[in-house]
Amino acid sequence: MTTIKTIKILALAVLFIGFASCSSDDDASTPKKEVESQSITNLKAVQSADYTTNPPTITGDFIKFSFDKGATTTGDDWDIAFRGSTIIVNGGEATTTDQPVRTAIAAAYIASGTLTSVTSVDPSLLVSDSASNGLAIPAVSGQGWYSYNPTTHIIAPIAGKIIVVKTHDGRYAKLEILSYYENGEANEDMSNSQFYTFNFVYQPNEGVTTF
Amino acid sequence: MGLNKNNIAIFFLTFFTALGFSQEIPTPQDTTKVEHLEEVIISATRTHRQLSSLPLPAHLVSKKEIQRVNSLRLGDILNEQTGLITVPDFGGGEGIQLQGLDSQYTLILIDGVPLIGRSAGTLDVSRITVGNIKQIEIVKGASSSLYGSEALGGVINIITEHPKYGFNGNIYSRIGTFETYDTGANIGYKKNKLAVNAFLNNFRSDGYDLNESDITNTVEAYKSYTLNTKLDYDFTENTSLFVSGRYYTQQQDYVASEELKGESEIDEWNTHLKLSHTYSDKWSSYFEFYATRYKADEFLNNPDASRFSESDFNQLLVRPEIRGIYNPSKKSAFIGGLGWNVETLTRTDFAASPKFNTPYAYLQYDYNPTDKLNVILGARFDSHSEYDSQFSPKAALRYKLSEKLAVKGSVGYGFKAPDFRQLYFDFSNATVGYTILGYNAVITKLPEMQAEGQIANVLVPLTDFENDLNPENSIGINIGADYNPLSSLKLNLNVFRNNIDDLIDTRVIANKTNGQNVFTYYNVHEVYTQGLEINAHYKVSNQLKLSAGYQLLYAKDKAAEKAFDNGEIYARKTPSSSAFQLGKSDYFGLYNRSRHMGNIKVFYDLPQWDLDANIRGTYRSKYGLYDTNGNDYLDTYDDFVDGYAIWDFAINKTILQNYRLGFGIDNLFGFTDTQNISNIAGRIIYGKLNIHF
Repeated sequence: MTTIKTIKILALAVLFIGFASCSSDDDASTPKKEVESQSITNLKAVQSADYTTNPPTITGDFIKFSFDKGATTTGDDWDIAFRGSTIIVNGGEATTTDQPVRTAIAAAYIASGTLTSVTSVDPSLLVSDSASNGLAIPAVSGQGWYSYNPTTHIIAPIAGKIIVVKTHDGRYAKLEILSYYENGEANEDMSNSQFYTFNFVYQPNEGVTTF
Repeated sequence: MGLNKNNIAIFFLTFFTALGFSQEIPTPQDTTKVEHLEEVIISATRTHRQLSSLPLPAHLVSKKEIQRVNSLRLGDILNEQTGLITVPDFGGGEGIQLQGLDSQYTLILIDGVPLIGRSAGTLDVSRITVGNIKQIEIVKGASSSLYGSEALGGVINIITEHPKYGFNGNIYSRIGTFETYDTGANIGYKKNKLAVNAFLNNFRSDGYDLNESDITNTVEAYKSYTLNTKLDYDFTENTSLFVSGRYYTQQQDYVASEELKGESEIDEWNTHLKLSHTYSDKWSSYFEFYATRYKADEFLNNPDASRFSESDFNQLLVRPEIRGIYNPSKKSAFIGGLGWNVETLTRTDFAASPKFNTPYAYLQYDYNPTDKLNVILGARFDSHSEYDSQFSPKAALRYKLSEKLAVKGSVGYGFKAPDFRQLYFDFSNATVGYTILGYNAVITKLPEMQAEGQIANVLVPLTDFENDLNPENSIGINIGADYNPLSSLKLNLNVFRNNIDDLIDTRVIANKTNGQNVFTYYNVHEVYTQGLEINAHYKVSNQLKLSAGYQLLYAKDKAAEKAFDNGEIYARKTPSSSAFQLGKSDYFGLYNRSRHMGNIKVFYDLPQWDLDANIRGTYRSKYGLYDTNGNDYLDTYDDFVDGYAIWDFAINKTILQNYRLGFGIDNLFGFTDTQNISNIAGRIIYGKLNIHF
């Protein structure tokens, strides 16, 4: 008896899913693209600091990244950019003069969860970088993506923090930073820092807020 | 590793020669040995009380035990007591953890008056020599009802030795591994109305190095002197005066790198004056005046001998107090006191030279309505110039169910005043660029920094700093039982819980234009520590005594517990693997707390040889020092410091009545953890000679 019940429920479920997917297919004007998942390892984003000035002068290029390309970019099609432990988005205003000019509408927020458990975007939480309110992803230990340990001086990505990004052209991506050190672990003098390893999921379909 | 082989060899030789020697010439022996003296404790109630009838969890360490284990510094002997452990501090000092509470929450007294000099919250217990200690009293549970600030977890009172009748004294020297020399002399004179006493101790060590690969030593070479003189004078049978002066000085090498070298120095003095008068059987009073200064200076020089950096810390405490004791009947006693704390501090990186003014008053009622029941009620009021005034009540009760069994319980309030650093710090890190401001410094300093264009944005409005910072405060509950099934067997059980609110931590209040932050101190956390403690003492025979102790501890942050409960915390299995969600049972608790701690001691006497020997073991289970998997919490997936046990052994022999030779090995199996434990040096072999006259 239970087997028959299960089959009935399964059949019903399949029917519903069929209807649901049909309706969305009907609405889509273009064929739906696959959601892309990718890993980026050891993305080098090195800065140097001159402590003889007060405040210290930080120099180094922001490494621009495009989720659509799944790679770094030098053009205005960047979504986020890395330098040291700072991550900026291509939207809003620069917070310091040495940052690249924002050219698009990118925004971000930090969600709690795992890369798989964050399944949709809450557009109300998205913010761009702002000269008055600071960066969308705060470059502050414990408040953004990392925590700094004053004893060991290690910068570690906070477990369970997923950065949700609105890309430069209004699509969505989510990423989990796994490491700030080349090949995953800090060496003795931490000279292999400022290398990002992260997993991301990119939703290439415009206006779709789920992954 | 500097091991003075020659000196050790000499001691060995002397020791075993003495063994042989004494067998040939029998020394006179005491025919009677009175073992059962009632132990008296004075810290728990500020009156003389029998330890065995006290409604509070308390413990005494006797001079006899200190001498038998040949301790050097206070930390050595405290480490062997149940539920106590010394924890190394960044600055190289060692603080005491009691019922899972940090060193800053235990008040440390010498002859009833407090020691100061907590530059980073920790009171370094290695500052105190045990050479002239008569008794150490450890009272657990919040005791602010008598002692005010800092007595949140408990009180440790060091009672120093008073001279015996006539002219007497002793000199001693202990030589051991790491070129450690501890030498002292104690001279006392007592006749009729006058008693005087002088004590001098010199302690020096080459330090040790657990990590040979770097230029610095784990503990650099240091030396210290302690001088303590005391005078008692009885004007009449009813009026007496006590005057004590203590001076401590310590010099230590300070090595920051190959190039930067310097020295750190501590100078501390205490003066204590007490005038006692007994009016009648019922009334007595004390006038007490106490002043102490703690000064710590350090500097680093460049290779060309020019000054690279220097810092100083200079704290002064002055306290007059009057105390009265009233005994309306044999069954009840009142004690009350009025006092005034004046405290100043000048320190590098301070916004001001602050001054604290704290008048206070306390009253305690100790009542025995029947032979079986004892009740203590007490309260204290501290009015403070810089933060909220504190009212600290306490109640304790003990009921004797039978001759063998008694139950007891106490509830008390404890607080720790925000320290000068938490209120007035004004420090900007020169290399990294962050700023730390004391809570009271924010309102003036932050606008100044804004005017200088250093502030990018303010995260916490200045209006948040209009109210005073709250003292950290706690309610401590202790419930226990004393059970003596046999006259030779004593069992004690104590269950405790400390609920601590308004714990002070740093948080970011503004972002700076250089990308760094401004931090300040803030009341944020609520934590608790709870657990149980069991002690057993078993006198197998007049020769053999066994004791064992155990503490179970859960020390947790309430917000963290909730966050785990709600599934908000994630962890990684390896540093760069994907995160997964943690559950309630994955939260381990606060850093540097072991769930299990225990000790076992065997003391053995061989009176026919004038010999005593002992073996002691202490154990602490695994603990976490910091978060290793990137979620800011200590969870079961973090890396832990492995649990460990340390075994100590000592043997002492008295010859010709007045000479006592000791030999021992501390940390018998040479345990070290070079990565995680900086205050365990390794195996220490020593010899000691004490001459009594």
